[in-house]
Amino acid sequence: MKTKTVELVASPREPHFVGDGFRVHNFIPSGYRMDMQRMDPFIMLDYNSTYNFPPSDKPKGVGVHPHKGFETVTIAYKGKVQHHDSSGGGGIIDRGDIQWMTAASGVLHKEYHEEEWSKKGGDFQMVQLWVNLPKKDKTSAPKYQAIKYADIKRYELENKAGVIEVIAGEYKGTKGSASTFTPIHMFNSKLNKGGKATFEFPANYNTALLVLEGNIKVNGMEETPTDHLALMANDGETFEIEATDDAVVLVLSGEPINEPIAAHGPFVMNTKQELIEAFNDFNNGKFGYLED
Amino acid sequence: MNSFNLKTYLTSNLDIDEKEISSIVENCTTKTFKKDQFLLRENEHCTHTFFVEKGLLRQYSIDEKGREHILTFAPENWFVTNRESTYFNQPSAYYIQALEDSKAAMINEEFIHLLSEKIPSFSDFNNKLLHNHIRHLQNRVNLLLSATAEDRYLQFIKMYPDILLRVPQTMVASYLGITPESLSRVRKELAQKNFKN
Repeated sequence: MKTKTVELVASPREPHFVGDGFRVHNFIPSGYRMDMQRMDPFIMLDYNSTYNFPPSDKPKGVGVHPHKGFETVTIAYKGKVQHHDSSGGGGIIDRGDIQWMTAASGVLHKEYHEEEWSKKGGDFQMVQLWVNLPKKDKTSAPKYQAIKYADIKRYELENKAGVIEVIAGEYKGTKGSASTFTPIHMFNSKLNKGGKATFEFPANYNTALLVLEGNIKVNGMEETPTDHLALMANDGETFEIEATDDAVVLVLSGEPINEPIAAHGPFVMNTKQELIEAFNDFNNGKFGYLED
Repeated sequence: MNSFNLKTYLTSNLDIDEKEISSIVENCTTKTFKKDQFLLRENEHCTHTFFVEKGLLRQYSIDEKGREHILTFAPENWFVTNRESTYFNQPSAYYIQALEDSKAAMINEEFIHLLSEKIPSFSDFNNKLLHNHIRHLQNRVNLLLSATAEDRYLQFIKMYPDILLRVPQTMVASYLGITPESLSRVRKELAQKNFKN
């Protein structure tokens, strides 16, 4: 078994606002060599590092927009988000919760700070990921998986090193409850200072570590501070994380789908023709209707 | 859906080799503009035609009541200018503004002369562009005079397939000459007709 080494440690890019409610650093696909093909199936990662939103009577967020051809995964670390979609669905993503939305054949949705939370304001920290779908599943029906924090499966590490919360995939026999279309591992690793955890994924799985709190060392040497992302090379299977402070790390690893990617705006398909169709379908109301 | 540059645009439309076009295009500067930045304001003098290589521009006027009226959206591969100012030496009645971080080739009169001089087929091509522009404007006037809100919208999405996702709906309504409420109604009715869940 070979060691999976660190390919690069990326610092957070200049933040930009998505709507007026999400102040994000984009890690995937812009820059750092982490384009959609390299990171497949993780084709977009926006990270809202801890940011204090002042109280607002009018909830901030993003108005109605479509998605097609992939899944969005929203992980709430701090703050609360409310969402609605064109099929009448909706819900609240509370601190620690995960919303896994399969947009697939197409949805319209909007997402805002939850009304009561917005009135008080406070620290907000969130990750939104786009997970690609294989061609055969891009036209499947949309669905939601709302995963409450209390229901997330946990693996307690030895020697009080910390805990691995398994969102999807498997960590040492503990399986996450999210169902995925292709093999994906997604964990929140909460490590106490000095705590260590080892991970094992196939060498070809695209793998990244986003440090949400604290500082870590990967494989005993590569220091990755808060709000940085370590991209792992596809050169081995195992690696180790050590927390140099109490740390929270989002661990992502997935089997690449290896199909052509044609992406524009909120649509990720396989060909340019399919993209044109997606725009036509959206413009002609085939995604339904949702009031702004 | 891709970004373009003026050189690619000219080589794909004119009978000219790569080397020759490179030496000509060197005479045309390219500028970047931040979102919301103005390329031209009312009463200013417009000296360039802008060819959008990346991003999105809009040309609009503001009436006496302070309402904006959008004449043109110019996404990648579009030209936009103020002709009364560029060609008739009058102050501009319009604003041109970047709606996204944008990059545009700045085409001035000398550059047009240079193209005409160096490339024999350019004048014909330029005429064709102008006629096409007039055809587009005629069609737009006709739609504004006689078409329903739905027809205007259906023409709009054919001409600008991705603009609805790049600008607020109030701007689309302004371009179509309808209220945002009418645009919302049209889109709702289309969804009721076409959405199969």
